[in-house]
Amino acid sequence: MKRRSIVALSLVALVAAAVAATTSASTKRAASNTLTVWLQTDAQSGWPDVVAAANQQFENDNPGWTVNVQYQTWGDHLSKLDSVLAAGGGSGSPDVVEMGNTETTSYMAAGAFANLSSAKSSFANSSSWLSGLAKSGTYGGKLFAVPYYAGSRVITYRTDLFKKAGITKLPNSTAAYAADAAKLFKVDKKKGFSPLYIAGTDWYFAMGFVFDYGGGIATQVSGKWKGLLESKQSIAGLTAYKNFFNAVSRASKTTDESHPNPYDVYAQGQTGSIEGPSWFSCCVGKQYTADTAQFVMPGHVAGTSMPGFLGGSDLAVPVTSGSKTQAIDWIKDFTSTSSEKALQAKGNIPNATNLLGNSVNERAAARSWFVPQAKHWVDVENGNILRNMLAQILTGHLTIKQAAQSADDNIASVLNQP
Amino acid sequence: MSEGTSTATAAGTLLGTSRRRRRVWGRIGRGAVPYSLIAPVVVVVGVILGYPLYWLVKLSTEKYGLFELIRHHGTSIGLANYRSVLHDQVFWHALLRTAVFTVANVGLTMVLGMLVALLLVRLSAWVRILVTSGLVLVWSMPVVVAVQIWYWMSNSENGVLNYVLTKLHFGDYYAHDWYATTFSQLSMVTMLIVWGALPFVVITLYAGLAQVPHDLVEAASVDGAAPWRVFKDITLPILRPILLILTSLSIIWDFGVFTQPYLLIGQAKTVPGNYLMSVYLFEEGYFENNYGRGAAISLLMVVIVAALSIVYVRRMVRIGVEP
Amino acid sequence: MRSKRARQVGWDIVGLAVFVVMVFPVFWMVSTAFKSNEQIVSLNPTWIPLHPTISHFTSAIHRPYFWADVKNSLIIVCVTVAISIVLSFLAAIALARYRFSGRTLFIVLVIGIQMLPQAGLIIPLYVVLARYHEANVLSGVVITYLTFVLPFCVWTLRGFLLGIPKDLEEAAMVDGSTRVGVFLKILLPLMGPGLVATSVFAFITSWNEYIFARILLNDQAKQTITVWLSYFTGTDRNTDWGALMAASTLTALPVVVFFLLVQRRIAFGLTAGAVRG
Repeated sequence: MKRRSIVALSLVALVAAAVAATTSASTKRAASNTLTVWLQTDAQSGWPDVVAAANQQFENDNPGWTVNVQYQTWGDHLSKLDSVLAAGGGSGSPDVVEMGNTETTSYMAAGAFANLSSAKSSFANSSSWLSGLAKSGTYGGKLFAVPYYAGSRVITYRTDLFKKAGITKLPNSTAAYAADAAKLFKVDKKKGFSPLYIAGTDWYFAMGFVFDYGGGIATQVSGKWKGLLESKQSIAGLTAYKNFFNAVSRASKTTDESHPNPYDVYAQGQTGSIEGPSWFSCCVGKQYTADTAQFVMPGHVAGTSMPGFLGGSDLAVPVTSGSKTQAIDWIKDFTSTSSEKALQAKGNIPNATNLLGNSVNERAAARSWFVPQAKHWVDVENGNILRNMLAQILTGHLTIKQAAQSADDNIASVLNQP
Repeated sequence: MSEGTSTATAAGTLLGTSRRRRRVWGRIGRGAVPYSLIAPVVVVVGVILGYPLYWLVKLSTEKYGLFELIRHHGTSIGLANYRSVLHDQVFWHALLRTAVFTVANVGLTMVLGMLVALLLVRLSAWVRILVTSGLVLVWSMPVVVAVQIWYWMSNSENGVLNYVLTKLHFGDYYAHDWYATTFSQLSMVTMLIVWGALPFVVITLYAGLAQVPHDLVEAASVDGAAPWRVFKDITLPILRPILLILTSLSIIWDFGVFTQPYLLIGQAKTVPGNYLMSVYLFEEGYFENNYGRGAAISLLMVVIVAALSIVYVRRMVRIGVEP
Repeated sequence: MRSKRARQVGWDIVGLAVFVVMVFPVFWMVSTAFKSNEQIVSLNPTWIPLHPTISHFTSAIHRPYFWADVKNSLIIVCVTVAISIVLSFLAAIALARYRFSGRTLFIVLVIGIQMLPQAGLIIPLYVVLARYHEANVLSGVVITYLTFVLPFCVWTLRGFLLGIPKDLEEAAMVDGSTRVGVFLKILLPLMGPGLVATSVFAFITSWNEYIFARILLNDQAKQTITVWLSYFTGTDRNTDWGALMAASTLTALPVVVFFLLVQRRIAFGLTAGAVRG
């Protein structure tokens, strides 16, 4: 009895193995003349038609070639890239990869990407690329990654609550915003309500203050990195942030900007406004969609905007690719003016200044800041150095000066690693 | 005993081989048979893990970052990686923290597992089936899913945990952040891990308890022995082999656990102050693309886990050696 | 008599409490899958959605590659379980019934593999498999899973084998059967339940495995269901919690079904042999 089931199981296994083997065999046959592209899932859910259009254009210009787009997740696309680089290529390895603009530097420094400098002029609008994105694709004067798209941070707010609080004009400075917050507190006395929900360790938002006051995060002085957070201007910015936070936000001082998601807090009716990417408006809850609008976060000087963190992605060609010419051609098609305009229509910021429009998102990008172009910057982020500093400042465990000094020391030691 | 013999007789008759053939088989077979039986496993494991293990050892003596990864070539630096790790304060703190963490997890898992298994024996049949099915449901959840749900239930904004605790008047847990302090974070991780580990332990122990001869237990309690004595003197010795297996496996698994702490605490809150060994390995080795260092840490972890579980493993190896 | 009844009821209540506490997260996952988005986000938890919606399930199933990835998972898991049971059974027999030099070494190998931190093996494993053209194919994943599942299966089956008295086999040998005959006619039937129990562990481990499947399989059409699940939270944008919970429920179903089918065998099997030795 049992023997029969064992035999049956073995047969099933053999058949399945045969199926698996056939699948692998057929893949090997199809490997030639296929361009493999790794894009993030944002494209799959956000603008699959733009991708399809670029693919069509490429296939028209390169008869006999097909494009194989495989969507990746942010969490482990780098591990996958590392594995492919370690193996020197292989089945399914990409010819084009999408990289976050803060992820590129260490890979460029390690020589992971092909040098695209000679093809630069053939990319659309390359002379007016957004500086934040262009910087993230250049290393040692050479071009290794092409700007793809950007996203800025804006304020998403409840028009009905603002109206109820008697706020007739949107705040044009941080001081005005703080004053508006006091009005909003009077309108909604719920426990835990925040006029502006800011997660305490949201360094994307907090560092805007540092740059607004003329400070910075780090700079290179004769080849060695030095932290700038303890400079007078940076300290002024951090102090302004602390005061602003206390005036407008009742969020946890130690939590980050995805635990919980600000738009969830908004949907629960626990806040009058949130700061974050412009796509936050997707998820504010059915009951508040009609009363939601966006504006640009103001700076401390009336009439100016707060420098916003310019997030975005670039496209690179790994050195392991065997089809570099075709890869460059596909990137050209995907970042063409028509393609960028299509991305813009979906709410993204296009990659060149001459294409910028007048949406809130794009206006917020007018004044932006970017992270230091250091090989080991990603280690500073992973080490949560800035987040810790903010938590210490807000909770009062350290004075602003102490926290900034400690952060500067950490940043310098991390960035100056060989 | 008689039942066994009759089965064997039946078996022998079914096969009906001649004595001569058996003698020949006996001579050749005895030598080569065990080796040919373990050969497939050794081959599979050897072929797949052979190179990675060699790579790990070699890499632990090299400087190997992203630069070297792309060129498939590292520079030899001897034991510098090991020295750097062993001189790193963070390493020793993480080791101590992980040791305490492992003791807490294994202890809770085994004690609670034992208690629930003992409980299962005493339940009515329908309740037992219900509880066992519930344990299976828990066992079948993928770890990543379990972490998501656990986080979802314990988050400070709308987590049901805070809501229930407040409603039951355990205090004001409104918007209580369970992930604010290291102790709190690791406690949540411990609860998650123990919760996930209980099904396997409970079901295995329950099966073991079914082995305890009922008459012995009856006789002991009739003689006036307290339940605790009965457990200690009769049940425990019978369960010893299973307990050894479960404890050693738990030590190995809980020491090297990665997914639960890393995902539940979240990358943003992962700091040297709450590193467990596998998180330390990931953050200091792979996250920073420092593969040489990562390899050194991996090998050190193997040595440490082996040392921690050696006592149990030796006992297990001895079982079954007697003919 | 009455106090015995009362005690029984008392134990049953404790049992029910244990059930509620253990199963609550699973219940929360399933109930969230049926809630509307407002109920999910709201500060006041909805215990049982009175107007359940299946929109999350439909949106989950319509995500790209759902059925393809289910098929891949099933293939990988079934092949892994089948091969690992056969191979580990053979090896367990060697460990439990024979004395040979190298026995200790083999045991050390079996236990040692389980001590390896998996994070350290990902990249070299990928390099090895790529060299043999086993990257980005299902068979590569099967081989990888076998490597990690085999040691545990060997160890567990050894435990079960030790619980079967040798006298049975010896008697059969005396009666004239070959060693092979003994294996097939005596050990195999008695080990049935033990084999089932071990295969459940192999099934669950393979079905729920994530990191190696993620790294080894590049094409979305070839990925497993756990990798498919990771796309719900892998985006830079918002997470659709309702769909994630629905997807998680769907992912856990096959394991539950498999276990419920074989669970009676396990109780019998574990009872029959696990402990002795």
